Amino acid sequence: MRTETANGRSGRATVTAQPFQIRGRFITAIALRLESAKLDAAFYEALDEHLHRAPQLLLNAPLLLDLGLVPGLTDKEVLRALVAELRKRNLQVFGVQNVSSDPQREATEALGLIPVAIGRETSVEKAGKSGRSKIDRLLPPDNKLITKPVRSGQVIFAERGDLTVIGSVSSGAELVASGNIHVYGTLRGRAFAGVHGNESARIFCLRQEAELLAIAGIYRTSESIGDTLRNHSLQVFLKDEGLYLEALT
Amino acid sequence: MTTQMKEKPPLGQIIVITSGKGGVGKTTSAAAISAGLAKLGHKTVVIDFDVGLRNLDMIMGCERRVVYDFINVIQGDARLKQALIKDKRLDTLFILPTSQTRDKDALTKDGVEAVLNELKEEFDYIICDSPAGIERGAQLAMYFADEAVVVTNPEVSSVRDSDRVLGLLASKTKRAESPEGEPVKARVLLTRHDQTRIDKGEMMTVDDVLEILAVPLIGIIPESQAVLRASNVGTPVILDEPSTASMAYEDTVARLTGEEVEMRIGEERRPGLFQRLFGRTS
Repeated sequence: MRTETANGRSGRATVTAQPFQIRGRFITAIALRLESAKLDAAFYEALDEHLHRAPQLLLNAPLLLDLGLVPGLTDKEVLRALVAELRKRNLQVFGVQNVSSDPQREATEALGLIPVAIGRETSVEKAGKSGRSKIDRLLPPDNKLITKPVRSGQVIFAERGDLTVIGSVSSGAELVASGNIHVYGTLRGRAFAGVHGNESARIFCLRQEAELLAIAGIYRTSESIGDTLRNHSLQVFLKDEGLYLEALT
Repeated sequence: MTTQMKEKPPLGQIIVITSGKGGVGKTTSAAAISAGLAKLGHKTVVIDFDVGLRNLDMIMGCERRVVYDFINVIQGDARLKQALIKDKRLDTLFILPTSQTRDKDALTKDGVEAVLNELKEEFDYIICDSPAGIERGAQLAMYFADEAVVVTNPEVSSVRDSDRVLGLLASKTKRAESPEGEPVKARVLLTRHDQTRIDKGEMMTVDDVLEILAVPLIGIIPESQAVLRASNVGTPVILDEPSTASMAYEDTVARLTGEEVEMRIGEERRPGLFQRLFGRTS
């Protein structure tokens, strides 16, 4: 499971072109498959013993209930009690899989459990994203070159490719690129590289006084960039989910 | 025909005085620059684009003579000749005041263009005094400009707003929209320059400002009591008694007409030792 960036001040950035960003996420969850619908003291005793043996593995883990072997388990109250018991043991139940009947679906939905389809369906968002990258692959990259200073309030958008600015980028201006951003001048505004999720995109500038630097949605603001690399020529890249600044010597 | 040939055709140069930020000295500068150009013998008109906040006529000292205004002309209620006010001090200087009762929506692109075209037939310099902000009034003031004087104080928010305006000059003007032809020639006029405060680190240096704005400098106007005084008596600084500010505006005007004048930073005379010991002299 992906964790938030190592840097405490980093986080998701928004891009002017689109006020949000949809990104793929894979999470690892554990599934608890019920072998029998009999949820008595013996069941919890066995569960406790298992948890005791491997406490780190299961503690706070996202957990799916697999109801594939218990089609008869449709009683909402029994299920509610089961979820409550599991949560008491720090198991984060969030969904169900292999729901076999309508009464069972209704009962689990009433408890707020998400039906999860494993390995068969992809979500609509994911389909949309792959469609887009297909178009991106078909179109040639379209790099942009700006030879004038970028003024406050201006937004320069390189939809498919790198953005190069020869001149300075003023405070209050924004550079947005799906690829790398190069500034041969002072970067005082904001720069968003890899906005379609390209985590290998980088930002380069001759002199850094940026208000905000972002790559693939991971950003740092002027405050969290700090003063040590102010006025330096540097490159910015993603490493270990964090945004790194490195002086170019 | 022969009589007309003797006269030099009017230059018809449109210069917008703009800044983005309010209170930096646009109207004061517009008044001083237009008076300075007229003083050199150029036939000059200054237009107030700040519809609804009519100030230029007061700075020029002609507020009691306003009958028709810019909006009346645009809407066809008055002829341009009726609205133009001739300055009492200089016979080459004219003022086109704006309306105090209307708002910026009364300005139309076609109307402004028609008025400017008519003025170009007769005047060497047409000075457009832009309202603050970057909305309709300011955009129409700059739209037809050949040249721009961006008034900036050595202070971060003013510099940032000027930068924004420079961006608009490079994109939202007639010259910017026509692919052939020169872009609007923009230069910075630094006003309220105060060396003492710069030395204390309270204000930005000239170099800092120019580094950010990346356009040439047309003048540095020192912070001066003369400016406030001149505004209140309704005389453009340049026509008032000589001061560091009036000299700096004269240099600026000379540069506008293409002369090369060395940049000098005049300052208000600082109180000397005796003045400080014995208090104010005046």
